[in-house]
Amino acid sequence: MIIFKQWRLWVSLLLLIGSYIFIKPNFESQTSDSKINFGLDIQGGFSYLLELNEEEYLNNLLVKTSQYIENTYSISSDIDNGEILISKNQNLDALTNIVIQNLGLEINEKSDKENSYIFSKQSFNKSLSDMTLNAVEIVRSRVDFLGNKELSIQKVGLNKILLEIPGDLDNNVKEVISKTAKLTLHLEKSNIVGSKTFINEETGEQVRVQEIPNITGDFIQDASLQYNQNEPVVAFSFNKEGSDLFAKMTSENVGSRFAIVLDGSLITAPVIRESITGGSGQISGGFTNETANNLAIILKSGSLPTQIKIIQEKQIGPTLGQEGVEKGVIASIIALIAITLFMIIYYKISGFFTVITIISCLSLLFAMMSLLNTTLTLPGVIGIVLTIGMCVDANVLIFERIRENFKHNIEDPKNHGFNSAYVTILDSNLTTLFAAIFLFAFGFGPIRGFSISLIIGIISSLIVTYIILKLFINITSIKYLGLQR
Amino acid sequence: MINFYSLKNKSYLVSLTLIILTIIIIFFKGLNLGIDFKGGLNFEVKSNLTTDQLNEYFDFIDSDREVLIKREVGSDVFSIRIESGDNNPVFIEEIKNIIDQNPDIEILLSEYIEPTFSEELIKNSIYALASSLLVIAIYVWIRFDWQFAASGIFALLHDVFVAIGFMSLFNIEFNLTMIAALLLIAGYSINDTIVLFDRLRSLTSNEENKDNFETNVNNSIKLNLRRTILTSFTTILALLCLVFLAPVNLTEMPIVFIFGVLIGTFSSLFLVLGIVGDLNYEAVLKARDS
Repeated sequence: MIIFKQWRLWVSLLLLIGSYIFIKPNFESQTSDSKINFGLDIQGGFSYLLELNEEEYLNNLLVKTSQYIENTYSISSDIDNGEILISKNQNLDALTNIVIQNLGLEINEKSDKENSYIFSKQSFNKSLSDMTLNAVEIVRSRVDFLGNKELSIQKVGLNKILLEIPGDLDNNVKEVISKTAKLTLHLEKSNIVGSKTFINEETGEQVRVQEIPNITGDFIQDASLQYNQNEPVVAFSFNKEGSDLFAKMTSENVGSRFAIVLDGSLITAPVIRESITGGSGQISGGFTNETANNLAIILKSGSLPTQIKIIQEKQIGPTLGQEGVEKGVIASIIALIAITLFMIIYYKISGFFTVITIISCLSLLFAMMSLLNTTLTLPGVIGIVLTIGMCVDANVLIFERIRENFKHNIEDPKNHGFNSAYVTILDSNLTTLFAAIFLFAFGFGPIRGFSISLIIGIISSLIVTYIILKLFINITSIKYLGLQR
Repeated sequence: MINFYSLKNKSYLVSLTLIILTIIIIFFKGLNLGIDFKGGLNFEVKSNLTTDQLNEYFDFIDSDREVLIKREVGSDVFSIRIESGDNNPVFIEEIKNIIDQNPDIEILLSEYIEPTFSEELIKNSIYALASSLLVIAIYVWIRFDWQFAASGIFALLHDVFVAIGFMSLFNIEFNLTMIAALLLIAGYSINDTIVLFDRLRSLTSNEENKDNFETNVNNSIKLNLRRTILTSFTTILALLCLVFLAPVNLTEMPIVFIFGVLIGTFSSLFLVLGIVGDLNYEAVLKARDS
């Protein structure tokens, strides 16, 4: 049999078996890394795009760097408008070029009196990006503690975080993710210099304390919701270092007050009655169960490096998505049937081969999407429908070429026609493919979903046309192809 | 058989008219920017109330935020646009809570985008679109003579531009999904064009009939005519299914794309090869001979 001599037969079988293996996990209940995920527009859910404050981060970094220079090299500096100014009336020998470079700084301006330094763009962006990665973990743990398990969270750009939560949402999520949660403990201070007054916005209670915190929330190891005389409180415990600091602070200041400040506002200002050595404490003050639990979650996840702003929010109800999928699937099936019927009526046997090619193209596409763990969105479905269009176009081009060659009595019309048509198909598909790749690289949101299915679709279409359609053309005598009119 | 090449001057006129019309329409009507590019709040709600009743209902919103209510064609779904303002994250929760108490209105989708971010999205989309078009241009340039590249790129910019005019004319919302649609139109347009270029190139390199440029152009089109019509037809068939069956907020994309297919078919049949001829490709061919 001639068919077994075709290498395409074996490759085709391999493709189909491979597709089957990779598509199969999608129909099994257990979770797997090679499955097609459905986008929020299909399954419904919430998405938040969070932006960390770049300016605030720059300022923090400037302060930190300036302090580091002071502590390490005993060189004092000022911060002004995004620059570090170092006066020349001190010994600057320690501040070599290598030191400056390692700090991520570069010289901005030199004058007789002082040098000004700024962060090099590259080092600042790297640092900003690292900070965002760190924030991603903090946000993830906060949302995890609320019990959302299937969330997807990723860094977008330099300082943005995309959080997607399928299904129903705990209303506390927004509250929990957007709090910076800088917890600080300050001792009471009566003289004005170096002090600051914090106010509790609800009770109006205010207290003047030392501005620089004695202890920060960074030392908190665990926090939880507990009850004190039936009233919800947040119990927290420090790690070893924090416990020591807390013990020292309390034992040295029995009788005075200290303020517990969260994100710049006073929560409570208790009086220290005795030294606290266990390294744990409680915050009380008008909490409900919910607010106490939220605060506990925020405290144990750690504070975010800067304020967070939700710059985009989307909530898609499950009905819209379901309706979308149902309609999208019906539309695709009807489109497929319409094209199929048309091709079979128009091209007879060859049209039938097109149908097989389309089905193989779709299985290969879904197999690759599963393998790559792609997220399928509604614009992605449109991309798939258009892929089918391109696949049909490739078939039409090939059939028309073969028909033309046959008419003009060109030798070996099938091979010659297929090959010359395939060059054209490659040219036209590759342009679209390259365009889609760039669209994917630069695009955002729906554009990405659309371009990923277009990219995978074009590749599938090129492969199945070359392997499977050609196999059928090869093994069928031109008399039966239905192209000789 | 139509002599496509001899129709080129009339085609230029048609295309010029379309371009001028597009400029006028965009100038006077502007683009209906979606919240992706303008920022603000958007609700898609299902309701059996009328647009007037909904307008009345949404009167509770601050007068300094503009509210626009539009019924999606042929459905009981409305889109409600609210201008961006201070503290959108809190505002959207308030609105949601108020609507949730109304049994006549069901929220299908709610979203907001900060204007600062939508500005970024505009920049982002322009990069995406421009870089993809540039890649197409480079590819065609490498594979064909520059006359082809220039003509092909003109055709695709022409098609994309006129499609934007179409969107402006029918007040179709310009959003991120539409950027994808525009790129698709560009892809379709260049796809059609390349198929013709391949033909013309192989015909002009054929010893017997390479001399008559006009005949070669007409033959390229003639030989591909059936394919062009078949492909446009099947693509439009598939898109029509999407128009009637896609979820309400996605019907506009296939409509724009159908228009793109039509305009793309026009430009590849009537414009591109004429331009190649007028860019003195004939002379290039002759020079190559001698």
